[in-house]
Amino acid sequence: MAETPPSRGGIDREFTITRVLAAPRSLVWKAWTEPEQFARWFGPRGFTTPLSKIAMDVRPGGTCEFVMVSEDGTEYSNGATYLEVVEPERLVWRDRDVDLVVTITLRDLGDRTEMTCHVVGETGGDQALAGWSSSFDKLAESLARA
Amino acid sequence: MTVDELSSTFFALADPTRRAILDRLTKGEATVNELAEPFPVTLQAVSKHLKVLERAGLITRDRVAQQRPARLRGRPLAEAADWLARYRQFFEDSFDRLEEHLRTIQNRESDDG
Repeated sequence: MAETPPSRGGIDREFTITRVLAAPRSLVWKAWTEPEQFARWFGPRGFTTPLSKIAMDVRPGGTCEFVMVSEDGTEYSNGATYLEVVEPERLVWRDRDVDLVVTITLRDLGDRTEMTCHVVGETGGDQALAGWSSSFDKLAESLARA
Repeated sequence: MTVDELSSTFFALADPTRRAILDRLTKGEATVNELAEPFPVTLQAVSKHLKVLERAGLITRDRVAQQRPARLRGRPLAEAADWLARYRQFFEDSFDRLEEHLRTIQNRESDDG
């Protein structure tokens, strides 16, 4: 399985994370697509993703919206639109706020599952990432001067 | 930087207005009024954005002057410039929790059965 090396500084436009999970593929699929499951794990440590604030419409063109709450109670609204939904092996969505497309691929290994997460910043025809990158370039330059 | 700090940095940056505010601050400190000018948002909205940026440690605000001008804070921003790495960390963190979650629900199922 090809794997993109971890990013090494700069503004990389994609990365891949591969993990073998000790659970059958159907269970991993549910973890991504059922709010009751999703609420139990999504988000960094210290954050919660309350079930009451998850709305998922898992089909191509459908949206996923949820709120993550940090330890100090700050709420972070998130959203995405599903581009591809192929149960139980492939889930692709575009983030609402960050110009990124995320592809989750699940490979059946019997009682285990190989999960691949590919994240790519879209650049073709879309100015958003370029704008973001250039503003970071400027920031980096100004910080170097400071 | 702890994971929580990385997360707040990432989320603070995940908004076009806030990124534009930071961009403006690279040219020097500015008050809320000055920052609101180029954006189609209210002063209150800009204040809210500044709070998020301040909480994430990306800016500091003058405690003395009445206008409380905002200015960039260097270090977290330099680190956040590698923003996709932050996003990667976000997923790595989540997947650690996913592994734990899958283990938990499967143990529960085998206990029940």
